[in-house]
Amino acid sequence: MSATQIPQISTRRRRTDKLMRGSLFAGTMIALIPLILIIFYLLQRGLGSWSKSFFTTDPTGSFFGNPGGIRSAILGSLEIVAVATLISIPVGIGVALYLTEYGKQSWFANTVRYFVDVMTGVPSIMFGLFIYIVLVLAHVGGSGFAGWKGSVALALLMLPIVIRSAEVVLLLVPSSLREAALALGAPRWRVITRVVLPTARSGLVTGSLLAVARGMGETAPLLFTVAVAFGVTGNLNQQMNTLPIQIYTDIQSPRSEIVARAWGGALTLVVLVLIFNVVARAVARRSRMA
Amino acid sequence: MTIRRISAFATAVVVAAGVAACGSSSSSSSSSGTKSSSSSAPATINGAGSTLAAPIYQQWGSTLKSQNLTVNYNPVGSGAGQTSLAGATVDFAGSDPALKPADLAKMKGPVLQYPVAFGAITVSYNLPGLKSGLKLDGSTIAGIFSGKITKWNNSAITSLNPGMSLPSTSIAVVHRSDSSGTTDGFTTYLSDVDATWKSTIGAGKDVKWPTGTGGKGNSGVAAVVKQTTGAVGYVEQAYAIENNFTYASVKNSSGTYILPTIPNTSAAANGITVPPDLGISTINSPNSSAYPIVSQTFIDTYKDPCKDGGATSSTASGLKRFLTYAFGTGQSTLGAGSGQLPYAPLPASLVSKNQAQLATMVCNGSPVL
Amino acid sequence: MEAATTVAGGRSVLERSPAGRLPDQVLKWGLTALAAAILVLLAYFFIRLVGQSGNVFSTYGLKFVFGNDWDVSRNIYHGGALVAGTLITSAIALLIGVPVAVASALFIAEMCPRRLRGPLSVLVDLLAAVPSVVYGLWGVFVLCPHLLPAEKWFASTFSFIPWIGGGVPALYNYFIAGLILAIMILPIVSAISREVIATVPAENKEAALALGATRWEMIRMAVLPYSRPGITGGAMLGLGRAIGETIAVVLVIGNAPVIGKHLFSQGYTLAAVIANEFGEATGIHTSALFASGLVLFVLTLIVNMIARWFVTRGAHGTRGTGATGMTIASGPASET
Repeated sequence: MSATQIPQISTRRRRTDKLMRGSLFAGTMIALIPLILIIFYLLQRGLGSWSKSFFTTDPTGSFFGNPGGIRSAILGSLEIVAVATLISIPVGIGVALYLTEYGKQSWFANTVRYFVDVMTGVPSIMFGLFIYIVLVLAHVGGSGFAGWKGSVALALLMLPIVIRSAEVVLLLVPSSLREAALALGAPRWRVITRVVLPTARSGLVTGSLLAVARGMGETAPLLFTVAVAFGVTGNLNQQMNTLPIQIYTDIQSPRSEIVARAWGGALTLVVLVLIFNVVARAVARRSRMA
Repeated sequence: MTIRRISAFATAVVVAAGVAACGSSSSSSSSSGTKSSSSSAPATINGAGSTLAAPIYQQWGSTLKSQNLTVNYNPVGSGAGQTSLAGATVDFAGSDPALKPADLAKMKGPVLQYPVAFGAITVSYNLPGLKSGLKLDGSTIAGIFSGKITKWNNSAITSLNPGMSLPSTSIAVVHRSDSSGTTDGFTTYLSDVDATWKSTIGAGKDVKWPTGTGGKGNSGVAAVVKQTTGAVGYVEQAYAIENNFTYASVKNSSGTYILPTIPNTSAAANGITVPPDLGISTINSPNSSAYPIVSQTFIDTYKDPCKDGGATSSTASGLKRFLTYAFGTGQSTLGAGSGQLPYAPLPASLVSKNQAQLATMVCNGSPVL
Repeated sequence: MEAATTVAGGRSVLERSPAGRLPDQVLKWGLTALAAAILVLLAYFFIRLVGQSGNVFSTYGLKFVFGNDWDVSRNIYHGGALVAGTLITSAIALLIGVPVAVASALFIAEMCPRRLRGPLSVLVDLLAAVPSVVYGLWGVFVLCPHLLPAEKWFASTFSFIPWIGGGVPALYNYFIAGLILAIMILPIVSAISREVIATVPAENKEAALALGATRWEMIRMAVLPYSRPGITGGAMLGLGRAIGETIAVVLVIGNAPVIGKHLFSQGYTLAAVIANEFGEATGIHTSALFASGLVLFVLTLIVNMIARWFVTRGAHGTRGTGATGMTIASGPASET
């Protein structure tokens, strides 16, 4: 039998292949350019603003003089996100528990899942508007704009993220573990608290940290709920300063020192968000369920 | 295991920082000003509104902090300020235009307005070669801002400025995108001096601009003017000075070209009639040495902030202290001197009228301490 | 010997006492109530939204969406320019973002060396971690001034193409807004595309290669058709994100409530108008802004519904809503 000639690939096809593969590579590089540029400019323009006084003084709000630092913005953001976390994580994990342990594939559970998905698509400014009508205008708690109302708006934003990620993680807990515990006579609530949650713990932490990272960076929900302040107030039932709002206001100032502060603040915010993201990834990687 | 500890620690840090910040009271910024003898109980008041006056309130806020009075001011524009007061989400509104009956109708109760200062609205431009001396009159300005005059070397502008070489750069108009008292002042002036403007665009806190980019607040307009060559925008003087803008001298009602200096701004307040509700207007003042585009700015509060504005009695006291300072010691921060804010202070007659009006402020019916 | 099989009350010893069952009941009904609360919350949200925007549709009717006259001073609120601006910027975002995202997904999943896959994915996903206000800052002070000369060149060189060229570029314009949106949706579309591409059965790819296809031809014949529904779904999710983005857009679009005459002119979007005008609005203006929010909400709802349908259709092997759901919700970390 004569050796059959393997058809050679025509130059045209070879050229097309090289061209298209080159385009795919180029496309990937193009995708990375914005990231590199953003990091570059953040470092170039933001690092210069970083100084001890930047982090230890508040924005003075004075028109001509020293604009001050961003201390109250950082503290305010941490406070408001902390409260938002305290609201959204328990509720989110609770709903996820319902979906995985009790609801499963019932029509009710599927409806809840569907609408949680809907919530992830809602533009963040809508949550701010909602809280504005329901809490701010109605003067709930005796105040107009208040820090805790911003927390509620952020919690609404973080909730679907927590629910979705928690559900995925809880579903990964092997049913055999649950069944073994139940077979040993443990009541349902014990199974959940002593078996399911601890097994899923690192995944839940990952999801929570990602939600927190998201919450820290959001501006729109805070616009109409927390408004503006300069000093550290510490009182969540009052207007407070937050880092995203501080940056947003500073961007629109014509003063170059204040714009420089915006860059410094932006770098700080990105670093904070990245820390949460990096820790979340590290937790996830360490405890990959085989 | 370590990573879990770290992540738990990270979350704990967030929560702890929150709690710690809750525990700390208001910031201890070193006060460079003299400590006033009247350091009363600490109070916080919130205001929002005019960006024209924002530099003033922000400066006063800085000073008053050492007297245990925290003033948070959100410069969102006069329109938004009035809306916030109507919603009682703030204790005072900064508003450049006087309150009209329609505005008063939206409020929860009777509102008192106190004139606080006068600021010149400059016509600032960004032409690197042109450092000073540009003259403009009302109809030319109207032509520029309505989009009819599109280049800097247009005959209307060159005829007013013989001997000056103007480039053929396109004019980039910058106006306000938010509801603004500065816009109200500027467009009132244009409506007064140009019949076409009055009939087509008119005056108001918001108008439909036929051309140009919108900037948010006086600072937003200033920022856009700064970034765009060939831009022209109307900004309050403090912002123009802060950014080293060049601005035009404008023809006033007597036909003279006036630069917006502090004396020329003060001149606008001389000889105006003061209605009983103190709702004055200094636009296109008849005074012959006055700069024609001078805006007044008010602080508006409820006559009874406790009943109508939901304020506590300590907030009402704080409000009263703020207002007393505003037309008292605060006035000395305004003027043409070095270290002063470039606004014209109130004439003595208005100060006494303000004080008389302040005495009528009550808290749930009883006088405020 | 007879073991006790019942206890007091006739209950079998293996059964739990009513008191012992209580915590379980409490937990079950507590969690169910929590889940129900989500639905109630959303319903309330929608009702309040509709309630606040009610009179706008009765006053302006469909002109609110299709008319082009947003005039705050005369209290006329026809939001056609806003809807147009939203659609234009989103279209630009899709046109620029989706090809780049899919290219990067194909590269990472199919072409790059195995050990680079992780790091490259992380880098692309990192774009999702940047807050929108930082994108806005970067857009205003880096993109806008640096791209203006190129925009001017483009507009004058290609002035014969209607709407694309021929005008005088403004510092803030549709194009910059669309470009930033493209960068923002890139990580979402790329992540979903990567997942979907990974589900293509190896047999399909091997078959193509065995038949003598080049690498690219294999991608074209085996990978792309299989993953097209999933990629389309990812693109639509990116669209949903682009439609709703507020802060980055409001800083770079110029905020002019008109339908811009060319690519580099100023415009406005539904989300941006809410951010700008909400603080000062009263009466019918507020209602108009809520109505804009309602239109926005409905748009994102529709787009997301279509997207989800595509994605679950396309993600054949993986747990459709699960893994991709986590990607959708949280961005970077997708663990399965």
